[in-house]
Amino acid sequence: MADTVETRGTAVGRVSGSGRLVVALVGGLFWLWLLARWAYHNTLLDRICTALGLPDLIRSEYGVRRREPWLPAEPFQSAADSIGSVPPGFVFDRIAGVFELAAFATTAGPELAAGAFITVYMTVLGMLFGLVIAVPLSVARVYGGRIASTAALVYTELIRGTPLLAQLFFWYFALPLAGYFDAAGFVGRNGIPRAAVMVAVVAFTINSSAYQSEYIRTALESVDEGQLAAARAVGLSKGQAIRHVILPQGLRYAIPGWTNEFIYLVKYSSLAAFITVPELFRQARNIASDTFRYQEIYIIVGVFYLLLVLTIALAMGLLERTVALPGVGQPADQN
Amino acid sequence: MEAIVLQSNDWAFILANWEQFALGTAVTILLTITSLVVGFVAGFPAGAIEVYAPGWLRKPVSAAGVILRGTPIVVLIVLFFFALPIPQLGTFIIIDAKVDAFIVATIALGLRSAAYQAQVFRGAIQSIDEGQMEAARSVGLSKFQAIRHVIFPQAIRRSVPGFQNEFTIVLKDTSIAFAIGLAELLTRAEQLYLQPGHDTAVVEVIVTISVIYFVLTFATNRALDRLEQRYAVPEGSG
Amino acid sequence: MTLLDVDSIYKSYDEEEVLEDVSFGLDQQDVEVIVGPSGSGKSTLLRCMNRLTEIDSGEIYLNDDEIHDLDENELRRRVGMVFQGSNLFAHLTAQKNITLGLREVLGMPAAEAQAKAMEYLRQVGLEDQAESYPAELSGGQKQRVGIARALAMEPELILFDEPTSALDPELIGEVLTVMRDLAEEGMTMLVVTHEMDFARSVATRLMFLDDGRIVERGPPEQLFEDPREDRTEQFLGELADIY
Repeated sequence: MADTVETRGTAVGRVSGSGRLVVALVGGLFWLWLLARWAYHNTLLDRICTALGLPDLIRSEYGVRRREPWLPAEPFQSAADSIGSVPPGFVFDRIAGVFELAAFATTAGPELAAGAFITVYMTVLGMLFGLVIAVPLSVARVYGGRIASTAALVYTELIRGTPLLAQLFFWYFALPLAGYFDAAGFVGRNGIPRAAVMVAVVAFTINSSAYQSEYIRTALESVDEGQLAAARAVGLSKGQAIRHVILPQGLRYAIPGWTNEFIYLVKYSSLAAFITVPELFRQARNIASDTFRYQEIYIIVGVFYLLLVLTIALAMGLLERTVALPGVGQPADQN
Repeated sequence: MEAIVLQSNDWAFILANWEQFALGTAVTILLTITSLVVGFVAGFPAGAIEVYAPGWLRKPVSAAGVILRGTPIVVLIVLFFFALPIPQLGTFIIIDAKVDAFIVATIALGLRSAAYQAQVFRGAIQSIDEGQMEAARSVGLSKFQAIRHVIFPQAIRRSVPGFQNEFTIVLKDTSIAFAIGLAELLTRAEQLYLQPGHDTAVVEVIVTISVIYFVLTFATNRALDRLEQRYAVPEGSG
Repeated sequence: MTLLDVDSIYKSYDEEEVLEDVSFGLDQQDVEVIVGPSGSGKSTLLRCMNRLTEIDSGEIYLNDDEIHDLDENELRRRVGMVFQGSNLFAHLTAQKNITLGLREVLGMPAAEAQAKAMEYLRQVGLEDQAESYPAELSGGQKQRVGIARALAMEPELILFDEPTSALDPELIGEVLTVMRDLAEEGMTMLVVTHEMDFARSVATRLMFLDDGRIVERGPPEQLFEDPREDRTEQFLGELADIY
């Protein structure tokens, strides 16, 4: 099998039945909290509500560090203290530790929520723009002439052969993309993200386009050859045949790979922290350097990522079943 | 696009510092190897456990796998860096990399890789036709013997593409040890262009390490393809 | 001398009775062919003999040893099995498919095991394919290696689970020839097959199984020419039309 596609590791894996229920419940509450937090500090919503005569409903004017947690830390802290004060013992120390972590998590909540917002939209934009590039790229690989398919091959090999972190550095430091965005003059104000975020989106778009195009390419190649012949036989042009017959089937085959890629990007968007993007991981890093509670904040942020990843995996599984057609793109066992 | 005009004295700067690139590459390769070894040593039994072990053993192993696969590698690296009680152990000679950072990176990349290799191996075991086990038991092999002599040898061969995949992923992700200042390729690259007066060399430095990474991934991929072809067993319906 | 004695065995899956009160005996050198419609329990019956499937109740004796008192692996060493899909070990050559059991189960030294494997490959006419991998063999050749693999363990009884039904018609003959030779050499065999010519000419006895029960059992000529039960006549008639 010389021509195996490099995937970026298989998805997180199958969560068992009861586990899935827990993920759905906890994940649902988590997203509810996230969405509420995002809405509460959203500039655009604030303007709309102010225009509607509710100036205090949405508080986008608070800087990230001035935002108040909604869940009080005291109960968790006092629980931790009371358990911690009973006889010293390994088990009690652990339980006290969990409560202490929960208390810390509530105070870190507002900043982490703000970071998660950037994480999520960078990922979503990177995926969507990446898909826009990936589809023609994969069609060029499979159905293009020699020049087009070679060009597409070189592009994907170059991107997939170098680390994402190096690519981020390239776009941010080496090719001062941020400078161009700044020069364009509309960044960093009025709810429009800072230049670094845009650079990160560019980097993620290009990186994920290469991987997505590989997933789509194998999916296209797995569509039965007779389908193209049959489409041509009823008089469709090659372009029409690809557009109306091959792609609708192939893109369904590509969904499991797409889920992988989505999850990959959620996790690896954390690397944007190194080009100053204040996303989830960077927020955690900032909190760590303020409080010196490194271990705890990194556990908390790990749980944040885990919840994001597991809920996305669950949602993508639902999507897969929704768009499934009988006999087409039988979702391969994606473990 | 004046910014990416490549200046010849910047290339001279890179040539003058070739040793840094060589050492960084050495650390990157070493870290890739140690991480993959940890990944295999832990991932191989984990994959088998996920198929054959009883619930009390299987559940915690697969839960650990979900956690390792669901958390960004950079979070794992920094978490282990602060949470693991690894003393400061000085630096390696010649390659000049901190021992404790190297160990942390190996554990983080290794365990994460183990979680993926376990998936690969588990999938391979499950793809083996049930008749193989039945036939093995029918000549009188015990279940353990059947797994060892009939299932595992076939599963390992089928895992090769997955392991190959893992190789390039780990190789590229060694760059994330940058987060704890391990002197691998990317970290050394940054140290170079942060030297006073050499900030114009950023493009050249990053292009250079990108080329090195690319050559490494490309070369290992081709080499592993060769290896696979050499040891391939004719496949088909048994 | 009685080699196999099956005494009133029962087996059910999820309330569904697959074998009901099945009893029969085999003498040494007997070749018994089991026929019956699909789902009648033929394969299950066969697999109960080497405990790939465990019965719910009843007793099975192999040369006076109750097989459930025996160690599983010991039993399987003494009872060979040939599968419908051959199930050759895909990663091993024909020869190594045979030596694996000899080496690991019997603890035979490598050289002796190899010599023995060659001997049995010669018996099934495949000594020139010793180094071939399963994927390089035809379906008929695979089945013959499968037979050699079972033979090499020198079993007291060999079970054949539809050994030719997955084969292209032109490959069936070579497998049946090997089985016929085996019968002539005195191997005790329990065979599930639809090959009625084989049953007629080789079998010492024919068993008709339906709905998990033995409907009728006797010499092949009797079942073919003068069956006692209507169901037997009807089924064998249909088989004759197809095969």
